[in-house]
Amino acid sequence: MQLVRSTIERYVPLTDAEWDLVRPYWRERSFGRGALITDVGQVEHWFSIVSSGVQRMYVPHDGDEVCIGFSYGHSWSGVFDSYSTRTPSRFGLQAITDTVLLSIHRDDMDDLCRKVPTMERFGRLILEQLVVGRATREIELLTLSAEQRYRAVLERSPQLLQLVPQKDIASYLRMTPETFSRLRARAR
Amino acid sequence: MSSARGRAPRYVCGMRTENLIDALRATLDKQLQQARALRELPLVQLEQRPAPKKWSVLEVCEHMNLSCGHYLVHLRRAYEDPRARFTPGTEHRPGFWGGMLTRTMQPTADGRIKMPMSTLRIFEPREAPLKRLDALDQFIHMLVGFQQLLLVAAQRGMEGPRIISTLGPLLRFKVADAFSFTIAHQERHLLQIERTLKALKA
Repeated sequence: MQLVRSTIERYVPLTDAEWDLVRPYWRERSFGRGALITDVGQVEHWFSIVSSGVQRMYVPHDGDEVCIGFSYGHSWSGVFDSYSTRTPSRFGLQAITDTVLLSIHRDDMDDLCRKVPTMERFGRLILEQLVVGRATREIELLTLSAEQRYRAVLERSPQLLQLVPQKDIASYLRMTPETFSRLRARAR
Repeated sequence: MSSARGRAPRYVCGMRTENLIDALRATLDKQLQQARALRELPLVQLEQRPAPKKWSVLEVCEHMNLSCGHYLVHLRRAYEDPRARFTPGTEHRPGFWGGMLTRTMQPTADGRIKMPMSTLRIFEPREAPLKRLDALDQFIHMLVGFQQLLLVAAQRGMEGPRIISTLGPLLRFKVADAFSFTIAHQERHLLQIERTLKALKA
């Protein structure tokens, strides 16, 4: 659970007394490779920190699946819009590898924010980060060429190539696996 | 969370040991499934009492950790004792007290509790507010422990040393009765958990 504390403290300071209140609400959840963590149409109840493993977020499209993001090593995970609105998710969240998440239930987060106002601020900062991330991705998709998108992602998350299957990265970059392979070969 | 009740097997009459073990394992599997589903619920719900003098879900779990946990410890000890002799009997005939107490503990086929009982002081879940979610995790761990012991029982048999009951050494259960009584006790309290969650939603 130390990961939860260190992750929260990247955004807001926590006193030991606050941490004693925060800690019991978090729990470990484990998923095998390929398991659906949150299915499309299911309400997301959990906000998670990735303790280990890699996950992909995808949306079904034209009988296929489009990757819209990944989570791994100490990053956030979850279907955030469903979590916020408590409505059925339009996305699926799947474990690409064996996964351990440290999670807090939405009802518990609400309860915690009432007891520890610092957590309210933490939630706002996370939301801001998510909005910036989404905006960056939108700009990249609308303005950059395939090669520029490839380079932008490589610069931002160089470890992605080692962690995620190429077909998922190609889908995330909105290009065919063939184009992705070509770009990758050229970059070497 | 839902579970079809009224499914607890009637395993206290004389029956083939292998059938008894199969029935107990099937019930335990369902109990474990139900307990794991509780982990998907928020802590605030698990800690909420439906009425001031009624237990929360976590308090029920902690009660089971204390009471059923006693039998897990003693059953495990019996199977691990190198001096203990087990013989694979073909038919289990419950002891008088073991059979009677298991029948009393078992919910009816339609999920009613026949005889409400008051809890012994030592089994009151006083630690639940401190243990919080750990009480549920310990309960799940205990159910897994019973599953593993039943696998051992399937190999080595259930005719062995008597198991000291929670009432003390004056009352000792046959091994099969200790399993049956405990699993019936869990069945009873998992029903209580279902009722608790239903009351909280109402």
